[in-house]
Amino acid sequence: MSSPAVQFRSRMPRIAEAAVERARLTVVPRRRVRAARVPFVSLVSLVLLGGVIGLLLFNTSMQQASFAATSLESQASTLSAREQTLRMELDVLRNPQHVAEQARKMGMVTAGSPAFLSLADGKVLGDATPPDPAQNVRILPPAPPMPAVLNPAPTFVDAPDQGLGNGHGHGHGASSASRGHGSGRNNTASHENHQNHKHQNNQPHLPQHR
Amino acid sequence: MPPTRPQRAGLRRPRGSLRGAAHVRLRLGFLVIAMVLSVFAGRLVQLQGIDPNSYAAMAAAEGMVQVALKAERGDILDRNGKPLADSVDGEMVVADPYMTSDDAPELAKFLSSRLDIDYFATLKKLRETDSRFEYLARRVPSTVATDVVNAAEEAGFEGIATRPDPIRDYPAADVAANLVGFMGTDEALGGLERTFDAQLAGKDGSARYEVGGGNRIPLGESTIERAVDGRDLRTTIDLDLQWYTQRVLAQTVQDSRAESGFAVVMDTRTGEILAEADDPTFDANHPLESPDEDRGARSMSGVYEPGSVEKVLTLSALIDAGKVTPRTRLEVPGELDREDRPIHDWFPHGLIHLTLAGVIAKSSNIGTVLAADKFDSGELRSYLTRFGLGQRTDIGVRGETKGILPGPSQWTHQVQDRIAFGQSLSVNAVQMAAAVNTIANGGVRVSPSLIQGSAITDDGTVVGSDHTTTRRVVSEKAARDTAHMMERVVDPDVGVAPAAAVPGYRVAGKTGTAQRVGEECGCYDGTFTVSFAGFAPADDPRFTVYVVVQNPGNGGGGGSVAGPAFSKIMSYALRRYAVPPTGTHPSRLPVEW
Repeated sequence: MSSPAVQFRSRMPRIAEAAVERARLTVVPRRRVRAARVPFVSLVSLVLLGGVIGLLLFNTSMQQASFAATSLESQASTLSAREQTLRMELDVLRNPQHVAEQARKMGMVTAGSPAFLSLADGKVLGDATPPDPAQNVRILPPAPPMPAVLNPAPTFVDAPDQGLGNGHGHGHGASSASRGHGSGRNNTASHENHQNHKHQNNQPHLPQHR
Repeated sequence: MPPTRPQRAGLRRPRGSLRGAAHVRLRLGFLVIAMVLSVFAGRLVQLQGIDPNSYAAMAAAEGMVQVALKAERGDILDRNGKPLADSVDGEMVVADPYMTSDDAPELAKFLSSRLDIDYFATLKKLRETDSRFEYLARRVPSTVATDVVNAAEEAGFEGIATRPDPIRDYPAADVAANLVGFMGTDEALGGLERTFDAQLAGKDGSARYEVGGGNRIPLGESTIERAVDGRDLRTTIDLDLQWYTQRVLAQTVQDSRAESGFAVVMDTRTGEILAEADDPTFDANHPLESPDEDRGARSMSGVYEPGSVEKVLTLSALIDAGKVTPRTRLEVPGELDREDRPIHDWFPHGLIHLTLAGVIAKSSNIGTVLAADKFDSGELRSYLTRFGLGQRTDIGVRGETKGILPGPSQWTHQVQDRIAFGQSLSVNAVQMAAAVNTIANGGVRVSPSLIQGSAITDDGTVVGSDHTTTRRVVSEKAARDTAHMMERVVDPDVGVAPAAAVPGYRVAGKTGTAQRVGEECGCYDGTFTVSFAGFAPADDPRFTVYVVVQNPGNGGGGGSVAGPAFSKIMSYALRRYAVPPTGTHPSRLPVEW
């Protein structure tokens, strides 16, 4: 780099020597420049402050999100429980037994045989028969038999003797009456026996006490 | 000097007694500090030196929550995806008697009026001493449980809470209950529930995380092991058809004053079981209200002798072997003397002339035995084995019986005579339905299936419609001829079961009335098994229906008891699946000559 400058200097040596002399570059003494401290310190403290506040805000927002998540989770579980309960109710309503019972209540009957209309050739296959309500399939189990306590055997009482007027009817009444009454009488008889027995047991004691 | 000291001391004493010398105070202070510090040091050694881990664990447990994540049990579905069994979120209501014993009567009244629980039992639990945990109600729908507990808290009651407790619900109650089975409090107790428990149950998970004030702490410690839900089990059952079949069967069993009954509806082409009904049955939601023997599947576990329905198999095998045709003429005497005992028909007659079709139509034992005489040795047994008798169907129902097909060593001539008309061998209902279905399906036996797709039972058997196998048992012509003969059974003029006919359709069927082996004596005890098996439309079968009624008390036979039930079930199935009549003329095979 220096060679062109040397050439230049040697080509016109005397012209404006003083100017050249004046323009000669000298090494500038190194000057220590102190950067202003205030901006740096404020920048750092700003960053620090921003970081702390940001962290705080971030943390707060995460806490907020956690609150929101908890409440949304509980809402979701409530809703899903509700949905499942509703689905369960729906399944009960869709149960064929329930549908059939409702249909029977509305007066519907088990279908008869259908006829099929073939769209291709317009032929009717099968003969449709109207349903017969007597052929309804029983959809409810029979009522359980009534317990004996609520359904006692009928008791028969001897009709008072009405003379010879209706001998035939009387004969029937009498025969059934004697059957029914017979068992009843046996029962009372045994009861009386039992009571007598008690009495007999008690009686021997009485004189002793006296 | 000594005398002066007391003087000084006397002068200083008031001050010294109050505050003491500075160095004394300093020493005292140091002493106190040293004592306090040595207590701290001792505590430090205790905390860090002796058992640091347990304290660390206690510190971690504080604010740590462990939650069990319940796996949802898979549903059991019918072929259209309707649930036969499903799981619902539920809660258990639990009490802490320590807190509830004071106002137990009021709380018991409150709870028993809102939950379906007994007042006195609840009262006892609420007053339990030495207990901090009592179950009050289990498997309560979670909305109900939460409402009740919230209401109780509002009313000022303390000490009751809820915990997750999934509910197993059977929306259709008794429909298919004998197949589906039921759940106990915590485990599967029967049926498909138990057989496929591994698939249905899934795997529970757990979650552990830190909470503060009821909320999960973000960035806090948390480990989650997700629950793996059970997989659904899809069956081939058609819920509506199953319901109808069960009601028809129940009516049949009641009206004939029978002991029990079962019915099977099978898709002819695929072998899928559309309905498998048992009666008496039970309510899967309340299994304990029914006796134990009603909770299994009689159709699979109960062996019985099929009776005349089996003649269909015998005669189709004879036709396939080329020994007879539907028009083969037979002279049927009123009684046939055989080696050990005479064979009779169910109706008294002298010498009659029946064709083979007539033997089926009139259900003649003697005619069948005479025809079966044409078999070579061992031929009938090999045919019956190919029909699937004596082997499990392996459709995935627990406790299936193999049935009894006598082995070659026990297969004497007398045994063959009786087997030819369906005695001296035992079957289960699905086995027999599949065998009759072979005739319906043009002589090809399709293995029956109850599970759609594929599933593995608890004993490791792979079952399901993906594993359906087919095998030809008799020729297509033999099957068609047999179907034609079976059509004569429901003919109002010549057949024994006109009540089994389905108006408008060609129906092929066969009645069965078999003597029954009593459990006590192991011999024929005078009771009967009556049955009807058939398929429709006879010339293009879609369904095979098999109805069996055990010990009817009204003395009815296969045609009069099981026939009408068959007709109703078949008619419903055809209607439901929109199967049009084929519009062809029914078979007119001669029955006599």
